[in-house]
Amino acid sequence: MTADRTAADQACDVVIVGAGVAGALIAKRLTRAGLQVLVLEAGPATAWTFDGYTEHLDHFFTALSKGPESPWPPAANAPQPDTADVRSGDGYFVQQGPNRYGSSYTRLLGGSTLHWLGVCLRMLPEDFELRSRYGVGRDWPIGYAELEPYYRQAEWEIGVSADVAEQEHLGIEFADGYDYPMCRIPPSYSDQVLAEAVDGMEVTLGGQRLALKVRNYPAARNSVPRGDYQPAGAVDERGDGQGLARDLGQRCAGNTACTPICPIQAKYNAQKTLAQADRDNLRVIAQAVASRVLVDPVSGMVTGVEYQRYQEPGSTRHTRHVARARGYVLAAHAVENAKLLLVSGLGGANSPVGQGLMDHPALYAWGLSPTPVGAYRGPLSTAGIDDLRGGSFRADHAAFRFDIGNDGWRATTGAPDSAVSKAVLGQGLFGASLRGHLEATLPRHVRFSVAVEQLWSPGNRVTIDPRYTDPLGNPRPVINYHIDDYTLAGMAAATGVYQQMFSRAGIEDATDPASSNWFPSADYDGRSFHYHGMGHFAGTHAMGTSAADSVVDADQRSWAHANLFIVGSGSFPTMGTSNPTLTMAALSLRTAERMVKELTR
Amino acid sequence: MTEKRLGDLLQAAVELELSTIPPYLCALYSLRPESNGTARLIIRSVVVEEMLHMVLAANVLNAIGGEPRVTGTEHVPRYPHELPDGVVLDLLPFCPEAVEAFLKVENPQHSHRAPGHDHPLLAGRRPDVQRARATTLAQGPTTIGAFYAEIIEGLEKAAAMLGEQALFCGDPARQITRDYYYAGGGTPVPVTDLASARAALTEIADQGEGDQASMYDKDGDLGHYFRFEQLKYGRSYLPSDDAGTPSGPEIDVEWAAVYPMIANPRGDDYADPELRAASDAANRTWSGLLRQLEAAFNGFPEALLAAVPAMFSLRDRAAVLLANPLPCGGGRHAGPTFEWARESS
Repeated sequence: MTADRTAADQACDVVIVGAGVAGALIAKRLTRAGLQVLVLEAGPATAWTFDGYTEHLDHFFTALSKGPESPWPPAANAPQPDTADVRSGDGYFVQQGPNRYGSSYTRLLGGSTLHWLGVCLRMLPEDFELRSRYGVGRDWPIGYAELEPYYRQAEWEIGVSADVAEQEHLGIEFADGYDYPMCRIPPSYSDQVLAEAVDGMEVTLGGQRLALKVRNYPAARNSVPRGDYQPAGAVDERGDGQGLARDLGQRCAGNTACTPICPIQAKYNAQKTLAQADRDNLRVIAQAVASRVLVDPVSGMVTGVEYQRYQEPGSTRHTRHVARARGYVLAAHAVENAKLLLVSGLGGANSPVGQGLMDHPALYAWGLSPTPVGAYRGPLSTAGIDDLRGGSFRADHAAFRFDIGNDGWRATTGAPDSAVSKAVLGQGLFGASLRGHLEATLPRHVRFSVAVEQLWSPGNRVTIDPRYTDPLGNPRPVINYHIDDYTLAGMAAATGVYQQMFSRAGIEDATDPASSNWFPSADYDGRSFHYHGMGHFAGTHAMGTSAADSVVDADQRSWAHANLFIVGSGSFPTMGTSNPTLTMAALSLRTAERMVKELTR
Repeated sequence: MTEKRLGDLLQAAVELELSTIPPYLCALYSLRPESNGTARLIIRSVVVEEMLHMVLAANVLNAIGGEPRVTGTEHVPRYPHELPDGVVLDLLPFCPEAVEAFLKVENPQHSHRAPGHDHPLLAGRRPDVQRARATTLAQGPTTIGAFYAEIIEGLEKAAAMLGEQALFCGDPARQITRDYYYAGGGTPVPVTDLASARAALTEIADQGEGDQASMYDKDGDLGHYFRFEQLKYGRSYLPSDDAGTPSGPEIDVEWAAVYPMIANPRGDDYADPELRAASDAANRTWSGLLRQLEAAFNGFPEALLAAVPAMFSLRDRAAVLLANPLPCGGGRHAGPTFEWARESS
């Protein structure tokens, strides 16, 4: 892979904008089919070499705040949102409200998979038919059955650990004889303690009695392989070809740092897929910001992608180039894809480009278990309760899913550090009494995160405004975002459910958003819900059955530009309650299959 | 060759591979955290392959109905430790002499300048040398290569005499497979017949010295000997390079960025009670790990799951010792002694 060759306007078969999971998967499939591919990545490729990755790790170790961005400092020319900016309202995003959009992403070779948690749930069959089944949201132009084979491929490409026997519910079906490439990650002790208390408990939603069960979720973390599957360890690319570090990360070692950086790369990141591409057919240019998509006004065909190449991440000096090919893929991220279309004049007044921005606004609930649960150990989380992802109640309010944390109150209150300072400064404890207090409380910390569904709504959107630009003169995303009553009612229902679970498990509720880490809030029915973003951007170039109300078709092909594919979670018309990466990967593999068929004819 | 002798030789092979691990770990853990990144990766990549070799030898022994042993004073190596062909393994920090010794271990056919008893590092620190079982079993002088060749030949003869099925009578459930062994320099070969036994034993020799004809093994990985030569030359090998003349990128080797542990430390060297306690704790962890490995080799392969945290723990306990200058030690530091402890943790 050449990161530094002169960027002559070499002809190739396909130009892909963005080296995240969607772009990498398509690049791998296309290059292996013999197509010449050029990938343009706006951010630097600093995590590509093992030494570079190690430097990012050092950056994380020395950071005072361990947020999702802490190992991944932004490049000025490819700026990125930062969760801290949500509070100040003064970051890369121009937030126009009324609610704050709480999520961030990473602009680097590898994309946000560098910092993701690795949850790989499939969407439910009913998630694809929300309008026909429950009269809310939208329907997809394809259904679960159509996507199922690609889900299987995606699970093997990414390397997902789970057991089919545990995942077969809520209408999710797997092909006969299929199982995930690796066995499930062992449940943590706290998962087991909670399962004992919660399994079999019933709650009522929309008049329906629903039974709860703690289940491991499918995770993109290496575990014991099935059959002849080879878990992919750390990416180690060096001049002499000796991949000395590739032995690292072949199994998850429970480092409790999945987000923001897996120290041994046992967690999937998109660089692994890029490393598996046919490298003779692949060119990757990092620090190349796509600034405009060029279109032939007569045919509507894309004729090139203009990009700005910078040598120094700290300097705005850059050169301009055009990459030309037969086919084009925008895989830059739900927000960046929309931005690029809009700045290229490809989102007219009546087009839904940029509209429908979604996330999973999520609540935290935390408490003190009656017995130690071994908090602060193992992967950040290994299990959840997902029985409330589907059901007839979705006609009235949002579905939701609980994640059980293995990291105590770290995300919510900054414990264990903050617990120490509170005990010392607040309670005046020291010596043996301090130690006794910490030993008696820290291992009992329990935390749930509740991801709540959000529907596609045209008012939630990404736009651009010439007043707001980044250092290279490219537009910054202007965001309008509102959490509606459908989602807020889901938050209210989720709150009721977690309280019942806590009470049944004897967990003393310590949830107190007002006094903890700051989160934005939304009001509903006289209550205030403090939420955080899950990083699940979606909906900004949703797929549909006609150009009138959608941007792409079921193959993620642009309605208006036949040789342009716009891929990623931006294509989702609904996202249910599953983390979007696996579905995005499945859609990308399906698109790649279509492209190979068309371009190798 | 009798089956008894075959079993003895294979037990000696398990011990031989085990005995190479502590010297590599001493060099690895003596590197200060902030530098020598490439040296760390090179030593680590070799030591995990030695672990694979031990597993492969145990698989062959299990395949003929043996019971691999790695616990107790009878089986746990002590240092200095003499291997076939007069190679002496010492516990040393990362230093040019240690690298020379590694080169000697990895390819006895190459000349070497491993330090003698009179070397300043070793002066007075190489008391009784323990002779490896592989050395005492040999009929006349031998090399590691000849030692493995004798085993392969013995297996072939025994198979011809007894019949392959009768020879390979071990319970296949005792084999260590990729289910529980991973990230350790390759995939363990389950041994059930002569062909798989030959493959397992050939891989041991192959990874060390490279293919007979090339510097690389059949997976395309540079042989251990040449990996270590890169540290000696401060430069990495490119695939096109000839032995002895690496022309790849420079490797930054900082000999000074090392905790200078004393050679061949023993618990008795630590008069300071706190230091002694830290050393005893490390040895209990080491011994506990060996018990887990022995369980894994004797019908409980899942014991390797719990052995992984023990390996992390051993590293952490070794680091405590290595960071400690010895009182009146002339600037030398303590280090892990890898002694068998009857009580393990």
